[in-house]
Amino acid sequence: MADLEIRDLHVRTEDREILKGVDLRVAHGEIHALMGPNGSGKSTLANTLLGHPAYEVTSGQIIFNGEDITAAEPHERANAGLFLAFQYPVAIPGVSVANFLRMAINAKRDEPIGVKEFRAMLTEAVELLDVDRSFTSRALNDGFSGGEKKRAEILQMAMLAPQIAILDETDSGLDIDALRTVAEGVSKLHAQQGLGALIITHYQRMLHYIEPQFVHIMLDGRIVLEGGVELVERLEREGYDEIRKEHGALV
Amino acid sequence: MSEAPVRPQRREATLYHALDGAGAPAGSSLSSLREQALRVYESSELPVWRRSGFWTTSFADLDLDALEVRHHASDAGSAEGARTGSTLPALLTATVPDRPRAGRIVQLDGSVIHCELAADLREQGIVLCSLEEAAEREAKTFERWYSHRLPGDRHKLEAANSAFWTGGVFLHVPAGLRIEEPFEIVHLLGGPGVAQHARVLIVGEAQSDFRVHEYGLAEDFEGQALHTEAFELYLLDGARCRLAHFQDWGSGEVHDSCTRYVGVGRDAYCHWLPALLGGHLVHEHLELAVSEPGGDMAYRGIFFTEGEEQLDVFAVDLHETGPSGGDVHWRGAAAGQSRASMEGLIKINPGAQQSHTYLQLHTMMLSPKARIDAIPSVLVSADDVSASHGGTVGELDESLIFYMQSRGLDRPAAVRVIVEGFFEPLLSELEDEPLAELIRSRLAAKLAAANADIEAYASSR
Repeated sequence: MADLEIRDLHVRTEDREILKGVDLRVAHGEIHALMGPNGSGKSTLANTLLGHPAYEVTSGQIIFNGEDITAAEPHERANAGLFLAFQYPVAIPGVSVANFLRMAINAKRDEPIGVKEFRAMLTEAVELLDVDRSFTSRALNDGFSGGEKKRAEILQMAMLAPQIAILDETDSGLDIDALRTVAEGVSKLHAQQGLGALIITHYQRMLHYIEPQFVHIMLDGRIVLEGGVELVERLEREGYDEIRKEHGALV
Repeated sequence: MSEAPVRPQRREATLYHALDGAGAPAGSSLSSLREQALRVYESSELPVWRRSGFWTTSFADLDLDALEVRHHASDAGSAEGARTGSTLPALLTATVPDRPRAGRIVQLDGSVIHCELAADLREQGIVLCSLEEAAEREAKTFERWYSHRLPGDRHKLEAANSAFWTGGVFLHVPAGLRIEEPFEIVHLLGGPGVAQHARVLIVGEAQSDFRVHEYGLAEDFEGQALHTEAFELYLLDGARCRLAHFQDWGSGEVHDSCTRYVGVGRDAYCHWLPALLGGHLVHEHLELAVSEPGGDMAYRGIFFTEGEEQLDVFAVDLHETGPSGGDVHWRGAAAGQSRASMEGLIKINPGAQQSHTYLQLHTMMLSPKARIDAIPSVLVSADDVSASHGGTVGELDESLIFYMQSRGLDRPAAVRVIVEGFFEPLLSELEDEPLAELIRSRLAAKLAAANADIEAYASSR
């Protein structure tokens, strides 16, 4: 059973149709890569899956764990087990990483998490992401470097333990060490928690560390090609032009 | 103050002016000051403040004749005692944090009803009592400092305070004493129809170090009430004080007109944070003056208006001499149909060389019908100084809200996090968690009350 199923999704923003019929299934524990040139609709899909109000679903469905969440509020999707690691995480002045995480965890629970339990979870996540503990007392993303912001995204993912995570170009702007740390973090969560992931990326390098079982190529708001990791190698060799030629009728 | 009869007049100003050292003439007796103030009171109309081109704050709708000063018995038989809080009004016990304190004095309407001071502090020479008592028992200090830098005749309500004040608060901290826990001053308005003319005089002698928390509280009620206050704090050589005000007059038609003055002496320091969190119509003149060389201050402020509240704040950072330091940082938000008007003034007087100060005003609009005016002003009359200002006007950022929703917080919770985060830089430097938590909870309550407006605003954008 697919935990996340996207059926013929059409999405519009600012009077322009961006997604023109996307079908995609991501099961718990599966790693998917979504690749495509700039402007093909990858980030629109990521934001739409979490219910960003600027993106209007004009037709199609998003099914998660058998429930139609197409019209659900963003926090309902998050609490159901979806997670979005943002391409450009925003800063939240005045709210520490730890306090924000505590609020987010408590949003899923009937009773607030105990201090000891929270501390233990935080320690584990901090070690996983190889960040300094003092990192968690800083205001979330406020004054963070690009690498710190991406680590903070993965730290949140580790703490919130979603079933399916969408990583929207998490590899962009990372140096090689930060990329490895982030990728290893995702891999461990995949191995330990059975995390399913949809990794949106432009580059092969992230996929050296997390090998996807499924690769999807998006062009002009549609997924035009699907396959295994061999697709990534083909893209590296040929670029998108060859695929565009092959699937010209579609796009 | 002139002895000549004063013709009825409406006192209106087009600009706000610093007190700039104004006060009672040296040697004035309390009775003469009351008489002079009474003449101004009788000859003037209710004040209307105009800041040209920006706002008008009018107390003309206040039915002064319908208000009365009510008196209550003290819980200790005399104004000074060491009683438990068991007989204190429920509003006080429900609001003021239950925490260690150096002392507490409570004025309900026109009377000081409770005064407590730890015995060891009394033995060390600290005096905490009603100002009426201090005028008798502490005559030397009272006469030296009473109304030293506070005028009593700029408008009818200021004059009412000078003429009619009752009860009052007097705190004298002797030289060299360091007190960790705060002295609490609580002003309670008992209900509609009340006029409370509150008066506070605090003197921190050389090298003293202490905290003062002042509360202004009222239950929610229907009808008008009035709180006027004249507050003066003098810090002598090397003294240090962390001063905070928590004001929440509830949803009644409380009119609040205050003048507060903090004088920072040689090498002295004050950290001051007024938190103005509720009042139907509030006009506050808050002046922090470095009066002698080496004085320094951190002048903070918080306001949050909602519903139909109207707030008018004039915050002055005055440098009478140099070298001196200043750092003014205010944050405010407005929701509903409320109106918040604020002028922050840096004033550096002639000769106050080597004064360095900075003023920042940050505001957040939470409703399309709310209005905030924030004017930073700088008046510099010395040439070897640095004085600058900056500010921001913000709204709720939808990208922030979506980010937090994507982590599982519902929309009201996300808005609360943003607003709390907006004020947090000032709360985290309070160095007093119980007070910071009280302010946070009051901000959250005001936000919850304004939730419908905030959502309407979001959907309209």
